[in-house]
Amino acid sequence: MIEVEKLKKVYSDLAKGEFVALAGISFRAQPGEIFGLLGPNGAGKTTALRILSTVLRPSSGLVRINGFDVMTHPAEVRRSIGFVSNNTAIYDRMTAWEMVEYFGKLYDIPEDRLKDRMEMIFQQLAMGDIRDVPGAKMSTGMKQKVSIARAMVHDPPVLIFDEASVGLDVMVARSLLKIIASLRDEGKCVIFSTHIMREVERICDRVAILYRGCILDEGTLPELSERHQQNDFEELFFEMLSNYDRERAEKLAAGGSPS
Amino acid sequence: MNWKHVKLIFSRELRDQLRDRRTLFTITILPILLYPLMGMLMLQVAQFSREHPVQIKILGSENIPESPRLVDGEQLYSRVGIESIAPLVKISSSALPELDNEKLQTQATEMLNKGDQDLIVIFKPRFREYMDQLAQTQVGEMVEGDLLDESDRGLEVILTRSRDQSQIAYNRWQIAIEAWQQEWIATKLKGAGFDPRLVRPLHIAPVDVAPEATRRAIVWSKILPFIMLIWALTGAFYPAVDLCAGEKERGTLETLLSSPARRREIVWGKLLTVIFFSCMTALLNLGSMQFTASLLSNQLAAGGARGLAESLGTPPIYAIGWLTLALIPMASLFSALALAVAALARSTKEGQYYLMPLLLMMLPFVMIPMLPGIELSLGTSLMPVTGMVLLSRALVEGQYLEAVRYLPIVAVVTITCCLLAIRWAVRQFESESVMFRENERWDLRMWITSIWRERDFTASVMEAMLCGAIILVVKFFASLASTEPISDFAGLSKAVLIGQLALILTPTLLMAIMLTKSVRTSLRVNAPKPIDFAVCILLAIAFHPLAMWFSTAVTTVYPLSPAMIEATSGITKTIIDTPLWMILLTLAVLPAFCEEVAFRGFIFGGLIRQNGVLRAILVSALFFGLTHGVLQQSISASFMGMLLGWVAWRTGGIVCTIAMHLIHNSLSILLSRAATSETSPAWLDLFVTFEKGGFHYDASWTTVSIVLSIACLWILYVRSSDSIVANESRTVDRPLTD
Repeated sequence: MIEVEKLKKVYSDLAKGEFVALAGISFRAQPGEIFGLLGPNGAGKTTALRILSTVLRPSSGLVRINGFDVMTHPAEVRRSIGFVSNNTAIYDRMTAWEMVEYFGKLYDIPEDRLKDRMEMIFQQLAMGDIRDVPGAKMSTGMKQKVSIARAMVHDPPVLIFDEASVGLDVMVARSLLKIIASLRDEGKCVIFSTHIMREVERICDRVAILYRGCILDEGTLPELSERHQQNDFEELFFEMLSNYDRERAEKLAAGGSPS
Repeated sequence: MNWKHVKLIFSRELRDQLRDRRTLFTITILPILLYPLMGMLMLQVAQFSREHPVQIKILGSENIPESPRLVDGEQLYSRVGIESIAPLVKISSSALPELDNEKLQTQATEMLNKGDQDLIVIFKPRFREYMDQLAQTQVGEMVEGDLLDESDRGLEVILTRSRDQSQIAYNRWQIAIEAWQQEWIATKLKGAGFDPRLVRPLHIAPVDVAPEATRRAIVWSKILPFIMLIWALTGAFYPAVDLCAGEKERGTLETLLSSPARRREIVWGKLLTVIFFSCMTALLNLGSMQFTASLLSNQLAAGGARGLAESLGTPPIYAIGWLTLALIPMASLFSALALAVAALARSTKEGQYYLMPLLLMMLPFVMIPMLPGIELSLGTSLMPVTGMVLLSRALVEGQYLEAVRYLPIVAVVTITCCLLAIRWAVRQFESESVMFRENERWDLRMWITSIWRERDFTASVMEAMLCGAIILVVKFFASLASTEPISDFAGLSKAVLIGQLALILTPTLLMAIMLTKSVRTSLRVNAPKPIDFAVCILLAIAFHPLAMWFSTAVTTVYPLSPAMIEATSGITKTIIDTPLWMILLTLAVLPAFCEEVAFRGFIFGGLIRQNGVLRAILVSALFFGLTHGVLQQSISASFMGMLLGWVAWRTGGIVCTIAMHLIHNSLSILLSRAATSETSPAWLDLFVTFEKGGFHYDASWTTVSIVLSIACLWILYVRSSDSIVANESRTVDRPLTD
């Protein structure tokens, strides 16, 4: 469903010059699976997901979603995904219903089907009470629900959540994780990026640990625990990052390339 | 392109903006309130100043001649011509105090400064005596007063321009005293047995043959297009910033970019919204202004100012129709430009900073038509915005023949500008670096370090633009410094050497050394294929008649001023008098090398990046043209620059363009010299006709040369060897895909 091969992204920045945001990462995610992309801030998670959603262009490598290449068939890719970003961005002067309807129409869903689909989603996400509330008057949790509804409206096979739980209170975050889990149960392929270990432990079937643009390791949680001989996932995460930094520093000291 | 998506985005943006109170206030409430309030205020101020009586103090009333009467008690004596102002002047008269002139003036100044009086009029002690004597004097006789000091017999008026009332009092007094003088002369003439009409024997009444519609529209035809375009520009700004920078700031743009709508569809949807608001702002302002003006004109007519009221009256409805028609392309142009510029901004605040320079750049084009004597002509119709303003003015004034004559040119210029602006806006939305610019902290040292660190093999787009701008600025200041006209070879060679080596080549080389990793690559010094080179040589010769024809056409449309002809005559004389090799070296070899290195080398190489072939050809040609200083030369050089740019692109370097430039300049010099020489080779007559010290190509050779040029261009186009295209594409950044 999602195939990422040697994906590389290089940015040009005033302070750092050309810097590598993604250094040739590879991973795969299957239908009916929640694939976690775990990493600290600046690891490259958002860059990777923006490339998956065709908003950014890869510098090199291959990304295929639902069989479509992001470079050659971006329009098909966009029809195959639902993208929820971390800033819960919705239009302030549109109601929840209008916002979801707008995106539904952009996906060319016929009027009658769209209405049925929206009724179902609003019921599923318990959004009946915010149906006519404009974005400016919504709480963060409400906005996030609208974003999810907007991403689900065309019933895409792939859903991408980019740090979607950031800034949400415990209740809303919990409800969000439940929704994501239910999407997996519907057979969707879900990519879920976060820097919160507990969320990964709760819902992810497989996880890739991303740090400084590289995937340090990938697998199911039991596989990772076994490989690194560490049952505490938080400890495991810190050890991997520390080891990577130490090896990198040693390479630099030896005059080698940092990556 | 999916127009359903465009319609959807347009409808959403429109609804969104209409729900924004700030937008509604700017486009509807403000114009509805602004003009009536302004009109009311103006009317009241005008009425106040018109009806408020002024105080005039007359000192020395005993010295005023008894006949004709000037003062009637505390008012001016009402006579023909001053009936309306007589009640608005309050006179207080007193005898002339026994003071010397200096003290008298001090006293008058005090009265004025206190505000008790608005004007002081002093009739000198012997004023009446002088006037009486003057009336009885025969031609050739001397009047006693002629020998007297002016200060003893004259009339002195003291005012203070620091107060408007004093100025108004002075104006009214002038009218009154002029009428009094006329009557005094008429009385004296009558007394001497002459017809008093001798004072003003002619009564000239002009006959205005302009159609009534034109007369009614004469004031508005100048004001309305200006007001309309200013508001169209202003009306495009806020929505453009909100739809680009605002969406970026709120984070909704990323959501939209990941939807099935393509970038082009998003731009069109947003563009239509901005155009809508731009048009609405302009139309509502026009409507409100028009409504207020018609009310004002009624008031003015009621107040007696019938002439002013007529010219301010409502223009015919079709005038508004023409303006509305002209508004659409103009609003489209402004909106596309505003959208492209606003896309650069990361926040609404930043967007406002970026749009202000755009407004300032547009203003001269809107204001040129307001200058006296500027009319619709071939020259003005070629100017973007200006041409459209003048066209709409001609339509409003009912000059349809003129308008139809220039309509195709104005339409082509306007549509081209619109398409280029829209293309730019789309490119902005396709650019990753523009859409996802992070909030970087700008630091000069960091910036310089980053420029050095990120040097590429060729210049960046910005560096290329900067190079062009630097050359233009230094050339401008150098032209201000050199005021001496060129009259000999020493002066000519000095001007060319400084112009080419110091002002064009040096900045280019310095930038190439400092900003790029390879001087050779950045200047595009590549060996061409021998066949390409040979074709270019042939093209330069074949294209010369066309270039000459274009230059002649330019000077026909924009004739050289006599001062310019005088200034260039020295250069022409020097070209003829100087040994050929010296003049070829100065005016052909040196410019061909320096200008090609700068414009088709460094600047072109930078501009062609990011798929910018068209941009590279047009902008490098524009810079090349502008460095020639004189408008006529600039246009011709820009035309030639486009050809050279195209060749530079197809041949992948500057060697061919240097050769073409060299041949073009050499041919011009050789033919100019042959035109003034008595012994030009006979075979030249096959191609060229010499007359009046000039030359022109024969029509048959021009036709052949056109065919030859097309053949050469076709060969270069077809040959477009893969290596050349590959060479360019190495530095070409692909835009974001859809």
